[in-house]
Amino acid sequence: MAGLKLQDVRKNFGAVEVIKGVDLDVEHGEFVVFVGPSGCGKSTLLRMVAGLEETTSGRIQIGGRLVNDVEPRDRGVAMVFQSYALYPHMTVYDNVGFGLKLAGTPKDVHDAKIRSAARVLQMEHLLDRKPAQLSGGQRQRVAIGRAIVREPDVFLFDEPLSNLDAALRVDMRMGLARLHTDLGATMIYVTHDQVEAMTLADKIVVLQGGIVQQVGSPLELYNRPANLFVAGFIGSPKMNFIEVTVDGVTDDGVRVASPLLASPAIVGQRQGMAPGDRLTLGVRPHALQLDDTGPIGGVVTLVERLGNETIVRVRLDGATEMTAALAGQRDVALDAPVRLGFAPTDAHLFAPDGKRL
Amino acid sequence: MTAAKPKTWLARLLLALLMTVTLLPFLSMFTAALAPSGSYPNGLSWPDDPQWSNFAKAFEVANMGRLLVSSTLIVLGVVPVSVLAATMAGYGLAKLTGGRNKWIYLVFVAGLTLPFEAVITPLYYEVRAFGLLNTRFAIILPLIGLYMPFSVYWMRAHFLNVPNDLTEAAQLDGATRWKEFWLVQVPLARPAIMSLTILLFLWTWNQFLLPVVLVRDPSLRTMAGALGAFQGQWGTDVPLLCAGSLLILAPTVLLFLAFQRHFVAALLQGSVKG
Repeated sequence: MAGLKLQDVRKNFGAVEVIKGVDLDVEHGEFVVFVGPSGCGKSTLLRMVAGLEETTSGRIQIGGRLVNDVEPRDRGVAMVFQSYALYPHMTVYDNVGFGLKLAGTPKDVHDAKIRSAARVLQMEHLLDRKPAQLSGGQRQRVAIGRAIVREPDVFLFDEPLSNLDAALRVDMRMGLARLHTDLGATMIYVTHDQVEAMTLADKIVVLQGGIVQQVGSPLELYNRPANLFVAGFIGSPKMNFIEVTVDGVTDDGVRVASPLLASPAIVGQRQGMAPGDRLTLGVRPHALQLDDTGPIGGVVTLVERLGNETIVRVRLDGATEMTAALAGQRDVALDAPVRLGFAPTDAHLFAPDGKRL
Repeated sequence: MTAAKPKTWLARLLLALLMTVTLLPFLSMFTAALAPSGSYPNGLSWPDDPQWSNFAKAFEVANMGRLLVSSTLIVLGVVPVSVLAATMAGYGLAKLTGGRNKWIYLVFVAGLTLPFEAVITPLYYEVRAFGLLNTRFAIILPLIGLYMPFSVYWMRAHFLNVPNDLTEAAQLDGATRWKEFWLVQVPLARPAIMSLTILLFLWTWNQFLLPVVLVRDPSLRTMAGALGAFQGQWGTDVPLLCAGSLLILAPTVLLFLAFQRHFVAALLQGSVKG
């Protein structure tokens, strides 16, 4: 097994630069997730690691070996595709064993590896079937089995769960987490779903516009997002943002005000701020609580009762709305006025350039 | 049971009419073939004394046994080579060619617009220059070339519909391009290859112009090509001519009946996303 190192990796399609200098270190055995909106370059980056896309410039190292000019089959990687990419004319047994057949693996070893992978993935009863006879989840397991038998240095997953229904996605996610624990393998996983990223990753790489916005553990990204984009992308429901002005600095913290706030809010200690500074205040929906003296006041426009929590949409002045995720089953009425508050330590402040303060 | 609507009756009537128009020439030939030798049958009238022996006579006189062998040899020379070359070219043009090299495909597309009749004269001089006139190679080699535009177009269309993910998965599994082609792409191309094989078989078996122009000896031509000499000898014996024509048609009709599922699939290929 081996780690992965990307140094100033860039990719152009003609005159368009889609990957703009990515630096990343992945330790052996880490589960790293590339996450970001559609078109951010996460799949392109994964394909460059696989060797399916040429690297315009920069260095890609797998297990300490430079692989920029190495064919995909010689890089020591195995990939699970979003579309599964199973060979329709082969049985599950032959699909899983195709790489071993090409490598000239002795028949008894070939058979043992296929059956071992089938056991791990609970698909021994499927070996004689063809892909057309399998469900989506079964096909995905076959695709994973095909990757496992090759014993690669790095596993690559390109949105492997996006074609599955919601319930199956949860099951497969847990299966993948278990697989990572069992194999201890280095895994790079691409998804646009931040819940998958948060639940699976040891480390998340957030990409936007071909640039890495932040690299960190799921909780690091959740608690200390590096900029507005990461703050809004990670966490569900999405973080609330309000443009504020620094009103003053007190012993309790920085006081910020906004025409959209019913009263000034205290947002915890920050260095180097002065009255008049224009900032963006971010508060996660789960950090908001009902508070008759809270700084956020508005009218309820939507209530979603999920049982364990109540999602409330509140319209402040004008067109600005905020979302609050209140624990438990709350008695909140539509069109009713409401005040919300939050702890100063739960507030996030961002400079005019979007960076976290 | 509900009564069929007027529109359904109209549709059925139209279909019946079209079937009649399609089958009428063959029925006419069949009844004419049963007429006494030397007579002038007038079309769709069953003869009072059907001469079934006309078929045996036509088979013997036109040397159909030898023509069958000749046609088979020509088909065996043309079809496998054409299908193999077109499959490889189609794969290359679909999966390995892009950007600045797309013009290569356009050359094949331009070839689609060329009728055989337009090139028969220069073809004659070329084949003569190679010293192949009056041999089966005078039919085999030009047909392979003339079939390439359509065949390459056909196979390229198939390979374009194969997801690139399969190619990439094969690459990651360790396959070279050749191995990917033989172990992954060709098995998947089986329906398209079957369809192309059937089409090329039919076109070769029924090939008339090239054999008549490039091969003097009727026994070296295709069965259809031998009709020319057959007609010259028996031009006034319409019943025998009709019997001979029906015998020449028989193998292709039998092939259609045996492979009609593949015929239909060939015609519908690409019409519905699978």
